[in-house]
Amino acid sequence: MNFEKVVFGFFVVLAATLNFGFFLGPIDNPSVHNAGELFAAVVVNLIALVMKFGDRTQIGAVHLATSLVASLQLVAAAGLWSYYNHLVDGAPLSPEQISSVVSLSGGALLANIISVTLLVVETVSFRRQ
Amino acid sequence: MGPSSTAIFLVLRRMRAPLIVLISLFAVSILGLTLMPGVDAEGKPWHMDPFEAFYFMSYTATTIGFGEIPHPFTTAQRAWVIVSIYLSVVAWAYAIGSVLALLQDRGFKEALSLQRFERRVRGLREPFLILAGFGQAGQVVARSLDLTDHRLVVLDVEPARIEALDLAAFRSDVPGLAADASNPLELRRAGLESSTCEGVIALTNDDQANLAIAMTAGLLRPDLPVVCRTLEDGLVERMRAFGQPMIVDPFNLFGDGLMLAVRAPQTARLVTWLTSDSGTKLPAPMTIPRRGRWVVCGYGRFGGHLAADLRRYGMPVTVIDPRAQPNADMEFISGDATDPDVLVQARLSDAVALAAASDNDISNLSVLAEAQRANPDLFLVGRQNDPANAPLFEALQVESMLVPTQLVAHEVLARIGDATVWRFVQEAQKQDDAWSTELLDRITATTGEVLSDRWTVDLDEHGAPALLDHVRTGRVQVGALLHDPQDRDRSLGVVLLAIMRRDQVLLAPPDDEPLAENDRLLLIGEPQDRRALDTVLSVPAAAEYVLSGRRIGQSWVWRTLVDR
Repeated sequence: MNFEKVVFGFFVVLAATLNFGFFLGPIDNPSVHNAGELFAAVVVNLIALVMKFGDRTQIGAVHLATSLVASLQLVAAAGLWSYYNHLVDGAPLSPEQISSVVSLSGGALLANIISVTLLVVETVSFRRQ
Repeated sequence: MGPSSTAIFLVLRRMRAPLIVLISLFAVSILGLTLMPGVDAEGKPWHMDPFEAFYFMSYTATTIGFGEIPHPFTTAQRAWVIVSIYLSVVAWAYAIGSVLALLQDRGFKEALSLQRFERRVRGLREPFLILAGFGQAGQVVARSLDLTDHRLVVLDVEPARIEALDLAAFRSDVPGLAADASNPLELRRAGLESSTCEGVIALTNDDQANLAIAMTAGLLRPDLPVVCRTLEDGLVERMRAFGQPMIVDPFNLFGDGLMLAVRAPQTARLVTWLTSDSGTKLPAPMTIPRRGRWVVCGYGRFGGHLAADLRRYGMPVTVIDPRAQPNADMEFISGDATDPDVLVQARLSDAVALAAASDNDISNLSVLAEAQRANPDLFLVGRQNDPANAPLFEALQVESMLVPTQLVAHEVLARIGDATVWRFVQEAQKQDDAWSTELLDRITATTGEVLSDRWTVDLDEHGAPALLDHVRTGRVQVGALLHDPQDRDRSLGVVLLAIMRRDQVLLAPPDDEPLAENDRLLLIGEPQDRRALDTVLSVPAAAEYVLSGRRIGQSWVWRTLVDR
């Protein structure tokens, strides 16, 4: 067992699951989309992105690209959330506002699913020597 | 992705751990700040949101420190801020330290310099030569080639020599790489397969490496000329197995030069002078004895070549060597030439010349000094192995010096610098003294005793557009051409050394020799006379005036009005 692979797989999957957790639920209901979960998704996605640096294979390049897309979309979602949150101090987000944040995270979720698929494909196609 | 993108991947790979640490510690700090209970301006309970926490952490971690924004902190918040500050200091120190360590890293530096080298080689749009080996001979060759407007790419195993490239003050940009040129991969990096590569020069100190370079070039680019230095006879045949490399063997060359000087001293003088750099003064004629007994001290590679050459010219030879093999053809004395008792056996008083040919400079010097004392009339030949000893040999006033590095450089330049001069020299070497004296007198009378530029002119559409129609009539003679386009009574200070006509070389043709289309002329003269001749070759009016004396209009209008 390669410990590096465990950590790598852990972060890739965790990035996808956190993202999924935030995305889950009616898109216009602020009470089912937790800001803390969005924060965790951003951080874990950034870490997954950095872990994919410096791999020169073709599959490594696609991995890096998907993570880059997911991180960008999640950072945009978090930025949007902070912006709406400060428009009116303390007030919860309106259905229109929360749905734009959640839809951004939905895009990131798609990229994360591709990333996880790649991980699975890579693992399945790996044969023991 | 080529090997040249290694550097960026190295950076990314090394920065993974520091960046993850930085992101994690930031995340922990921000999370902590959002959880700590605070109060707003009215004293109501309040929590920082992630955005405010990120803002606070950003200016705190980067030591900007705007203070407690947006509301003054509670004790709980301040306690957590203390933790975050220390966390962020550790994270930044680790990240910056990693970057600095990477910049100092040997592998990273090599990856960077390799990347820069490949970019510079790719950027060469002009024809260039690959020079493998930047030792003494290589440096002389590089400097001269640079002065004659050749572009170079240099390879050498010694990193220090490549670093010296930057200080060498070349006129053009010379990319250099510290690498083993006998490795085909490195030669390809240096642009061996580039369409603008026009030749390979192998001058490393290692004969085997030179052989490997000749082999690589011969197999990958059979069309390229390859010049290769070697000291071993055995390797010559092996080098010839791969294409037709030009082989430069300093010992053979020196023997050939010496024999040419024995046979025709003026020819040797002419050839040596014309293959030097512009600006070289005419050397004094060598007063080499043409008959009499030679003493050769040291029967190694050089001594062996020299003794064999002398025997071929029928001169008696006495060889002194500790490991001498008796040979019916020559007189052998077994012993060390630096021992006065041994040297006495060679009867220096009735010898005409002595060659100190061992591979040890100190014994060569002592033999030369001893011989000079025993018989001041002796013609002395010295072999100098280490350039650092040059002043010692000069102080002894040795008539003929073998300096392998200089000889190799001279030969390489003659061959690769200008193929036309090389062909001329090959033919000129066969001429006798009377011919050489006459040509030398003509050159010195026209251009002086300092060597002027040599250049070639092709009598075709590109080289001589204005002259071509006249040449096609077959009535243009050599003597008529070399006149001033301002005043045709004045001759140009230019000497025609040779005409290359198909496979023929017409040496120093007489004034009434008619010129033909596609002739290649080899000329020597001052730059201003070269410009004047260029005018004759390219401006129809000037050509007409010089050849016939008729002045015609230069513009179309004038020609239509006047010359109708």
